[in-house]
Amino acid sequence: MKRVEVRLNLEAVAPLLDVIKGAADELKPVLAVRQQVPDAEGDFAEGWNRELLQGQTADVETLLALFGSEFFASGVIALDPMNAETILRACAAVRLRLRERHLQALDDDALESSEVALEDLAEDQRKALAAYVFLATLQELIIQHLDPTVLEG
Amino acid sequence: MIVAETKTRQTPQPSAAPATRQQDAWRVVVLNDPVNLMSYVVMVFKKVFSFDEARARRHMLEVHEQGRSVVWTGVREQAEAYVFTLQQWHLTAVLEADEVRS
Repeated sequence: MKRVEVRLNLEAVAPLLDVIKGAADELKPVLAVRQQVPDAEGDFAEGWNRELLQGQTADVETLLALFGSEFFASGVIALDPMNAETILRACAAVRLRLRERHLQALDDDALESSEVALEDLAEDQRKALAAYVFLATLQELIIQHLDPTVLEG
Repeated sequence: MIVAETKTRQTPQPSAAPATRQQDAWRVVVLNDPVNLMSYVVMVFKKVFSFDEARARRHMLEVHEQGRSVVWTGVREQAEAYVFTLQQWHLTAVLEADEVRS
């Protein structure tokens, strides 16, 4: 994957960053998915979860760093081989959190097909849905550059 | 099979277990979730297990349509490492004893 610079619509994306930041904050003490630890005994389970949480935290910090002062100055984010996979994982974590915290009321099929009646949603749900879709788009963009064959199938 | 290359962090060491348990067959099972993109799941399977496109897609569809797919079977230590890596990617992955083989 080469370095890719993506110009985003600042007006559209900036309001979503608060939602993404909020979900990121909520993820600091918990995993995006409650996972089964193969051996649930004390130290092992604790170490397992701690490792996962440290990784998740580092990933999410990298995602948030994409939207720093440079982004607000130019509207551009830069993806490269060093951050692509990290951002992919972080997007997954934040999307899982948004789904759990703000979009629980929505049907899986409706959400998957994007057939959601926006007028029925409260303002915070609308923003969460927009952030959820935005992060999915970012993931698809990265996958397209990392492994285009995946999206061709 | 590769796994170490795809991991960004060190996998916790598996707990001590009797030799017989370690040598039994264990299954790495991925469960469905309503959030992760199909393309993302395919990419993760390709990356973690070096599956070709068709095999990765077949497992993804199995997860999507049947709720679960056994993506790897083998010794416990390696199975644990795979489960950990899949969980790093936020897939819901569990370890199961392979009753048929063990």
